[in-house]
Amino acid sequence: MSLFFQSLVLGVLLGGLYALLAAGLTLYFGVMRVVMIAHAAFLVLAGYLAWFFATETGLDPMLSLVVTVPLFFAVGFGMQRLLLSRLRPSTMTMMSVLLTFAIALLIEGLLGYTWSGTQRRIRLPYGGSSIDLFGVHIAAVKLIAFGLAAVSLLALYLVLTRTKLGQALRATIQHPEAARLLGINTDRIAGYGFGIGLATAAVGGTALSLDATIYPSLHWHWIGPLMAIIVVGGLGSIPGAAIAAMVLGISQSLLQVPLGTTWAQTVFYLALFATLMVRPQGFFGGRLAQRF
Amino acid sequence: MKVRTGLRATSLALVGSLALTGCIGGSDDDDGEGGSDGPITIGISLPLTGDFSEPGKGIQRGYEAWAEYMNENGGLLGRDVELEILDNQSNADRTATDYERLINQDEVDLVVGPFSTLLVVPAAQVAQDYGFLFVEPAGAAPELFEEGFDNLFYAAPAVANDHYNHLADYIEAMPEDERPQTAAYAAMDDPFAQGTAYGLKERLEEMGVETVVDEVYPPNTTDFGGIAAQIADSDADILVGGSQYQDGVNLILALQQLDYQPDMAAFSTAPTQPEFERAIGGETEGILAPTGYTPEAQYPSNLEFVEFYTDKHGNPPGEDEANAWTTGQVVAAAVEAAGCADSALVDPDCQQEMIDWLHENEVETVVGPLSWDEAGRPQAAHMIQQWIGGEIKIVLPEELAEADIIHPKPAW
Repeated sequence: MSLFFQSLVLGVLLGGLYALLAAGLTLYFGVMRVVMIAHAAFLVLAGYLAWFFATETGLDPMLSLVVTVPLFFAVGFGMQRLLLSRLRPSTMTMMSVLLTFAIALLIEGLLGYTWSGTQRRIRLPYGGSSIDLFGVHIAAVKLIAFGLAAVSLLALYLVLTRTKLGQALRATIQHPEAARLLGINTDRIAGYGFGIGLATAAVGGTALSLDATIYPSLHWHWIGPLMAIIVVGGLGSIPGAAIAAMVLGISQSLLQVPLGTTWAQTVFYLALFATLMVRPQGFFGGRLAQRF
Repeated sequence: MKVRTGLRATSLALVGSLALTGCIGGSDDDDGEGGSDGPITIGISLPLTGDFSEPGKGIQRGYEAWAEYMNENGGLLGRDVELEILDNQSNADRTATDYERLINQDEVDLVVGPFSTLLVVPAAQVAQDYGFLFVEPAGAAPELFEEGFDNLFYAAPAVANDHYNHLADYIEAMPEDERPQTAAYAAMDDPFAQGTAYGLKERLEEMGVETVVDEVYPPNTTDFGGIAAQIADSDADILVGGSQYQDGVNLILALQQLDYQPDMAAFSTAPTQPEFERAIGGETEGILAPTGYTPEAQYPSNLEFVEFYTDKHGNPPGEDEANAWTTGQVVAAAVEAAGCADSALVDPDCQQEMIDWLHENEVETVVGPLSWDEAGRPQAAHMIQQWIGGEIKIVLPEELAEADIIHPKPAW
C-alpha cells in the first residue's frame, strides 16, 4: 500500500513537471500553429545555463532565472518576428517543423561544442533530502520543481485571463482576422506569445536540471512525450495540456510497478493513438484544434 | 547480411585465385612479404568521430603509445611496428569496409579490433573470413562470444557477466547469517550493462539470495522515481545497478530521496567516472564498482606502461588506453611465439599458428595474466573497487586490495 501512495505522490510531482514543460509547446501552437520541435532543446539549454551559473558562482541555480527568463522571452520574440513569421501561412505548420528541427540541432551542436558531451548534474546541498509525510517520501528537489511549475502555470493563467496582453493573445488564438479588425496588432502579439512560451522553457529547464543529469542530446528523449501530452490535451489549450500532463504522469508512475519502466513509457503513445482515434481534436482543444 | 557474407566469400575466392595465378603476390616488390626487414603493419579501424569518439580516441592513444614503446625497445621480431588507423565514424558498415580495405588494399600484416561490441562484431567477421587473428580491446557483451568466432580474443580480464565474480566470491564466503537475504536489480536495456548485473544475479540466486526487484529500463529513461520507489519498498539488502553513467547517478539520487539504505550497493561503470562524486553530491561512501584496470596494479609490464604513458601524456592511462595496450601485448606475444607476422593473404598458416597458440597459452599483460576459452572469453575477473573516504580504492581480490572492504555500507 505504501508503494502505491509513494508512486502516486511521485506521479503527481512528475505530472506537475510535465505540465510546465508542455505549457509552452501548446501555447506556440495556439498562437501561431507552430510545431516547435526545438522546445525541448531550449529546456536543455536553460538547464545548462542553470548548471553553468551554479558551478561558476556557487549560488542556487534557481537564481539564474532572473537572467534566463527575460533572455528566453527576448529570444522567443526575436525568433518569431525574424524567422517563423517569414514562413507562408498556408504551410506554416509543416515548415515550422523543419525550421525548429534545425534550431534544435543547432542548439544541441552548440551545447556539445561549448560544454562537450559530458553528462552534467548540478550539485545541490538538498539534492538527496526529502520530507517524510505519512510514510511517503517527498524529495525536496521534486517538490521545488513542482512548486516552480505551479507558480509559473498560475502566472501564465493570470496573464492570459486578467491582462490586456492576455486578452489580445486569446483573441489572436481564437480568431486572428477578427482580432486584427478590432485593432490588435496580431503580428506583435504572436511574437509576445512566442516569447512567453519560451520563457516557460527557461523555468521548465531550470526545474528539470535540479533533479536530472543533462547532456546535449537529452532533448530528443523529451520532445516525444511532450508532443503526446499537448495532442491529448488538445492543441493550443494550456489547461488541457496541464490536465493531460497530470493524468499521464500519474499513469506512468503507477503503471511502472506492474508493467516495468519500458512499458510504462508507452502510456504516452497509447494515449496519443487513442486520442487520435476517438477524439482527434484532443480532450480540451475543442473548436480551435478542429479547425486546423 | 547474407548477401554481404556471400560477397565476401566470393571476393575471398577471387583474391585466392588471383594469388594462385600470381597476379597479386609477385607484383609488389618493396612491401616485402614473409619475414623481410620492413616494418610490420597493423591495421585498425577506430571510431574517431561519432558516438564512440571519446573511448575511440582513448583506444587510439593506447595503441599509439604501445607502438612507440615497441619501436623504442627493439620492435617486434626485430622489425618496426607501423599502425594504419582508419576512422569508421562509429558506423558498423563502415567498420567492415575499413577492414576489407586494410587487408586487401593496404595489405597490412596484422589487424586488431576497434571499440565497442557493436563495431567488433562486423570487424571480427571480416577478419574471420580472411583467416586473420583478431584481438580486440573492447567488446565485453556476452552475445559477442556466441557468434561462433574462433579467431577472436578479448584483451581484458573478463566478459561483462564475470565482472562481479570477486564480489560474488566475497559474499559466498560470508557466514550464512551475515549474507544479504534479498537483492534488487535495476539494469539498463543494454547488453553490457545488463550482462554485469545479471552475472551477479545468477551467482547470488545460486547462493539463495532472493530477488525482490528485477527492473530493466530503456536507455532513454529520464525519470527514475518509479524504479527507486519499488526498490525502496522492497528494502532489499543488496542493490545491483547495471548502469552506464547518467542512469546510475539518477537512480542513486532518487534512492537517496526515498531514504533507502542498502547494506551493499554495486553499480557498473558510473562510480568509476570522474564526474561521479560531484554529481551525487559526495555521498559516495561504500559504493562498489567493478573495474578492469588500475594504474596502481603492480604487474611488471604495467609499471613500465604507466611510466612510459605518463611520460608521453602527462597523466596516467585510463581503462581504454590500457585495453589497447593489452591488445598490443597479446598480439606481440602471439607473433613472437609463431615467429612470423604475415598477412593471411601471404601465409595463412602464420595467422592460424598465432590463433592456436593463444588458445593454449597465457599472456602476461598490464591487467594481469590472461588466457581464453575456445570462444575468446578471457578467464580472469574484474577487480572490485569501493568508494572509501572520498576516493575509489580496490578492495577485492584481497591480494590486490588497497583497502579493506566496508560492509555494511554507511548511509548515503
